[in-house]
Amino acid sequence: MKGFLARCLIFAILFATLFIPSIPWGVTEIAASEEPQAPVLEEPQAPVLEELQGSTFVLKGATLYTVTNGIVPNGILVVQDGKIVAVGPSSEVTVPDGAVVRDVSGKVILPGLVDTHSHLGVYPHPRVPANADGNETTGPVQSVMRALDAIYPSDPGIRMAQAGGITTVNIMPGSGNAVGGQTAYVKLHGRTIEDMLIHKDGIQGGMKMANGENPKRAYASRKQAPATRMAVAALQRQLFIRAQNHQKKWDAYAEKKEEDETAKPPDPNIALDPVIEILQGKRTVHFHTHRADDIMTAIRLAEEFQFPLVLQHVSEGYKVADEIARRNIPCSVIVLDAPGGKPEAVEMALRNAAVLEKAGVKVAFHTDDPITDSRFFLRMAALAVRAGMSEAAALRALTIHAAEMLDLQDRIGSLEAGKDADLVVLSGPPFSVYSHVLATYIEGEKVFDRSRPSDIRYATGGFAVADRYPARQKTQ
Amino acid sequence: MKKLVRKQQSTFHHWGRIGALRIHSFSVVSLCLLCFSCPLAWAQQLAISAATLHTVSSSGTIQDGVVLIENGKITQIGSAADITVPDGYERLTSDTVTPGFIDAHSVVGLAGWYNVLADQDQDETTAPNQAELRAIDGFNPSEPLLAYLLQHGVTVIQAGPGRSNPIGGQAGIFKTHGSTVEAMTLRFPSAMIFTLGEVPKKTYGERKQTPMTRMGTAALIRQALLGAQSYAKQWQDYASSADEASADEVSGDEASVDEVSADEVSENKDHKAPDRDLKKEALAAVVQGELPALFTVHREDDILTALRIAKEFNLTLLLDAVTEGYLVAPEIRQAGVPVIVHPSMQRISSLETSNTSLENATILADAGIRIALQSGFESYVPKTRIVLFEAAIAMVNGLGFERALRAITLDAAQVLGIDARVGSLEAGKDADLVLFDGDPFEYTSHVQTVILDGQVVYQRPLVSP
Repeated sequence: MKGFLARCLIFAILFATLFIPSIPWGVTEIAASEEPQAPVLEEPQAPVLEELQGSTFVLKGATLYTVTNGIVPNGILVVQDGKIVAVGPSSEVTVPDGAVVRDVSGKVILPGLVDTHSHLGVYPHPRVPANADGNETTGPVQSVMRALDAIYPSDPGIRMAQAGGITTVNIMPGSGNAVGGQTAYVKLHGRTIEDMLIHKDGIQGGMKMANGENPKRAYASRKQAPATRMAVAALQRQLFIRAQNHQKKWDAYAEKKEEDETAKPPDPNIALDPVIEILQGKRTVHFHTHRADDIMTAIRLAEEFQFPLVLQHVSEGYKVADEIARRNIPCSVIVLDAPGGKPEAVEMALRNAAVLEKAGVKVAFHTDDPITDSRFFLRMAALAVRAGMSEAAALRALTIHAAEMLDLQDRIGSLEAGKDADLVVLSGPPFSVYSHVLATYIEGEKVFDRSRPSDIRYATGGFAVADRYPARQKTQ
Repeated sequence: MKKLVRKQQSTFHHWGRIGALRIHSFSVVSLCLLCFSCPLAWAQQLAISAATLHTVSSSGTIQDGVVLIENGKITQIGSAADITVPDGYERLTSDTVTPGFIDAHSVVGLAGWYNVLADQDQDETTAPNQAELRAIDGFNPSEPLLAYLLQHGVTVIQAGPGRSNPIGGQAGIFKTHGSTVEAMTLRFPSAMIFTLGEVPKKTYGERKQTPMTRMGTAALIRQALLGAQSYAKQWQDYASSADEASADEVSGDEASVDEVSADEVSENKDHKAPDRDLKKEALAAVVQGELPALFTVHREDDILTALRIAKEFNLTLLLDAVTEGYLVAPEIRQAGVPVIVHPSMQRISSLETSNTSLENATILADAGIRIALQSGFESYVPKTRIVLFEAAIAMVNGLGFERALRAITLDAAQVLGIDARVGSLEAGKDADLVLFDGDPFEYTSHVQTVILDGQVVYQRPLVSP
């Protein structure tokens, strides 16, 4: 036990030493470039693209995958104060006076990738039970829980996700409960969860629900509900009914208040208030569901209570693609190297995304990190392309379609003037094994640079051994 | 003792592979597609033409190449200009052809895709020493994941007991297609599985049983190997005394002495055979260097513990997983031990895998260590990894195309000692080939056809699986 604790401590120290220089780098390095003093917290070697930390900069010469306006070869992208202010062909976009220009000819730029379902920060590295905060399996209905109260901003997994080109994430509680809790829509930058949250107040994410075998797992063995799929659905329906009843109290209060100024409002109910938001169409339900019958159950509930629904996983979606398409329900799918690992995933198929696309369904992807390591998010879409999805649809799935599923399409998901400067610079085409993520920007701030020694180990792994990592001749 | 082990090996070695016409399928849909759109060929004579032919042999990569196959074996390989395809050969053409891929360590066949007790036969977690367990007694030829591996070009796997026990049992090397384990066995036993590190001590420590620490695991293994040494010595002493006795009886007929089996000798009243002990018998083969000891290890200190134990007992060691191998590459190189490297993309789900690096295979290979790749073990979704995908990731993290391909073909065959049969496209070897429509490692390429022992066992359906 002592050895175990010592190991944890070593990890903690190593992680801490790695993070300390990374936090203020954007500021210190600009200062260093302006004032030729002895560098203090400098990286061992000068990172590429470092001059782009100014408020206005231009990336010139890359192939721009705008997503919403096609592919622009030899493009220009102008960033100012964290926003894209101009994007287009070199012949049409003028470089603003005084802007720092970086030639990225031969490279590829995508909008920052959007992961619609992840557990970053709630299951941080290193993976020990003390760090696992995703499933409050003390009761199957946990609408009161908020992922934001468990997200560890120093999770190395967040930096690994940046290395994979991911910039926006829907961080969710796990699927161990019928109702897992409130999810958080975050950007992968900042030192605190408050920095990370996209919506600083109000409704800050969706609601996680799950059906199928996972919610049964924790409770059936205790002889508690839910032990069957029927009970999972019943628990979810009961919650909506309770929320409707709670809403009636508010309605009655509103009515009464018109006549009586001293009318007493209902007691606040932090478990039901978010559910009322769902019923009002303001909060989306992200529904973990694999088997075709479970997919139809989630749809049945959404139709009964008229709530905004995003189907998550949707492993057997290819069996009911027409049913999903007919109702215009968006699907965030996961593509894994092989099927199986649990009964509801044995009929998972690589072609799922392709079949849904052809049926006309709006498709996104998700890592479900740690199920898929966030570094391999682009690869997941490439596997969907391998199985027949069009490259254009796969790219939309990683960006604008995912943004739409989080109601963030006005801010992110494409390279368009006015949108956040969330960018991924690739060495080659997006769906090739030979392409690497070279740099990732969030709101104009470079959060990952493959050429930087402190960052490369988040792409390759080995970050915790720090300077014990052996030097290699080239790091491609 | 040696006789016993050889007897056991030969039983499975010479069964031969009849190659029953069986296609595993994931769904009715794909089964129908296979049946109706892609009739499979069972020609005895095949000619494969490829724009790019990766032989993984001294012939290197041949542009515009041809492979001739007869009765399950490669009979001729070379440039199309030099080879005349005889009449009667069925012809297949392809963009790119590679040897069938070898997954040097897997649990597919024992760990089923449902991941429920009913289909998990890899971890006998009822006692920490399970040396007598045999993979062949738990290997399910109908496991759908075997067919899935096959669809991705994997034609050979080493599969064995899992990692929960310090001494897991005996692994075997199998083809991924066939109706019985006997028909699929390429070699059994191929290795004794040992595991150090977190998993065994978690399995037993939680029950307050040994091993609860890394020390406990090492001590338990050393004790078992020591027991096997004295067991082997008992049998050696018995054999030599029996030889003397037989020599007296048969009066100098040496040829017939060799024929006398242990069982026959045991009938001799003056020389009673020791009692057989399945555990010790299996480990005796390990301490006598006849059966490789495969040690699954992740952390650097566990790697060195494996080297320490192997040196103490003079084991034929295969290092397996070796997640932190890049920290101790010189030590591994010095020991001259090959490494079956963890899957590049193994899920980082434990402390001992925290330092997983995509460059590990590269750094080990750069150090002059012979490496193979593996699918390893996955406890959740996805239930297996695919060495084709793992090699691709290793490739772009410094290993390069040639070494990545070798790590799942010839190098893997050499590490497992099966290179006389498989691992490269050469005359005389098993006709295990994978036909691609492009670069084998590119994400968006497809396996078009898989040939195993000269039979077309998979053809890509019109709709992807």
